[in-house]
Amino acid sequence: MGIGWRHPHYAALLEQLPNLDFIEVHSENFFAPGGSALAVLREGRASYPVSLHGVGLSLGSATGIDPWHLDRLASLVREIEPVRVSDHASFARGTGLHAADLLPVPMSRAALDAMCANVNRVQDRLQRTIAVENLSAYVTWRVADLDEPTFLNALAQRTGCQLLVDVNNIYVNALNAQLRGESQDPLADCRRWLDAIQPRHVVELHLAGHVHCGDIVIDDHGSRVDNTVWSLYGHAVERLGAVPTLIEWDTDLPEFQVLLDEARRARSTAERALHRASEPELAA
Amino acid sequence: MSTALRGAEGGPATSPSLDSLGAQQQALLQVLLARPGSARADAAEECLTGLLDTRHMQTSRGLAAYQANGYAMAERSLLSAYPVVAALIGGDNFVLLARDLWHHSPPQRGDLAQWGDALPGFLRHNAQLADVPYLSDVARVEWALFNAAGAADAAPDPGSFARLAQETPEGLALTLAPGTAIIDSPYPVASLIAAHGDDTPSLETAAQRLRDGQGEHALVWRQGLRPRLQSISPGASALVQALLAGADLPQALDAAMDAADPDEHFDFSAWLNAAVTDAVVIGVHSLPGALPTPTEENTP
Repeated sequence: MGIGWRHPHYAALLEQLPNLDFIEVHSENFFAPGGSALAVLREGRASYPVSLHGVGLSLGSATGIDPWHLDRLASLVREIEPVRVSDHASFARGTGLHAADLLPVPMSRAALDAMCANVNRVQDRLQRTIAVENLSAYVTWRVADLDEPTFLNALAQRTGCQLLVDVNNIYVNALNAQLRGESQDPLADCRRWLDAIQPRHVVELHLAGHVHCGDIVIDDHGSRVDNTVWSLYGHAVERLGAVPTLIEWDTDLPEFQVLLDEARRARSTAERALHRASEPELAA
Repeated sequence: MSTALRGAEGGPATSPSLDSLGAQQQALLQVLLARPGSARADAAEECLTGLLDTRHMQTSRGLAAYQANGYAMAERSLLSAYPVVAALIGGDNFVLLARDLWHHSPPQRGDLAQWGDALPGFLRHNAQLADVPYLSDVARVEWALFNAAGAADAAPDPGSFARLAQETPEGLALTLAPGTAIIDSPYPVASLIAAHGDDTPSLETAAQRLRDGQGEHALVWRQGLRPRLQSISPGASALVQALLAGADLPQALDAAMDAADPDEHFDFSAWLNAAVTDAVVIGVHSLPGALPTPTEENTP
């Protein structure tokens, strides 16, 4: 189990050195070539494996990968020697613009081709595989040749990349589909999503909180993990096995102990799920 | 495929065919980053109508969520680099400023720490801020401090200072601290920023210097992991700028002497002692192509 390590918790982690399997940071926050941010990450790295999670590579952009961004990431990877490197199945980069957000790509063959080319370029440069994460999407493109698990499975198959499955994102998308009148049973849809993903590609799971805004559900990473998401996480572990799991919390950060509580809950939920998976007749 | 849409406010509006992934993505980016209500935003939104699933009102709500997230990131990112500009104009005005800059000069890179460098120029040409003409220079200094915080580390080389006594100064230069920069301003920019930090000088003193029309030469550098700021003399400013431009010691000293105020006796030894103590100068090095030349006393 790991936690997202954010600025307000830098000191608490280094003082307490809690029992965690890894810590996760946003790669871009450590792109500066020197100074205090990189110094504190080196300290964290001395005690924990680090998962470098990017938010700005824009793997789905038709305009390709920004060479500057890739250079900085490569430099950070050399310095930190992370246990995993990841980013999202999204785009943000266009001609002369970068939206600094995680925007959905059409589930089309053209988008899959573009993302495969970009993932290959990143992996060639870093000389290692990266993991690509499913995202929460708040708009839907009309073109939809593929469903999301098929898109991601094909991406992994064609590029050799790994997959990072965010369980909360699956649920947020299902809730929004329900609000659009496109889903009768969001929980069942999420289970089908998880059942469709190929387990051999999945190397990390993400858990986070979301917020209901009435007409839309937003993946804000600002609260405890929802009970239904915990239930889905159990299902994910039963199917995918003991995959490293991250508690993400990026807005309205709580006391450090709350994150550790969530990590403990993830550990116990995973242990129960693995137990069920090993005794299927009991589960039945 | 026709020409893609340009940056949010850059270049003429075009009417691209939307049959390619790149054009589709550019249309969504335009909707999110162009100024709401602008012709460019309206045109991009019209394009998107045929591309996004708009059967449900959630699409417009989703676009608004992305726009709101963009604004929140703009405010957070700009505030981390420009806390004194924010304090000087007030929180509500700073929020509007961040949104204005977001549309005027949208990010071009996926690292938001790289965004915001356009603020000093944006402030300088903003007619609504004509009554606070010093704001642009305050922003220049804050951007230099922000960059100094993340500049590449460099270890001090105390042993290298012996070269000042052992070699002729031609071809020798002083190694400056990470993030070293000079901002010459007709306003007391270092005082204004320091007054909002450790209150030295006080805000009252900084304001009086502003009323007196006192300019300052702001030196920015990083000591260890701490970005620092100091008001320095015209001679010292010229010397550091010459070193930053690649001058050797004699050239830098000439620049300092030329720039020094008539009543400023620029004492290089005193300046160097203080600069080494404060880690502005962290060593001595040869300029590329220069060969070390022993002084006559050290020549065998």
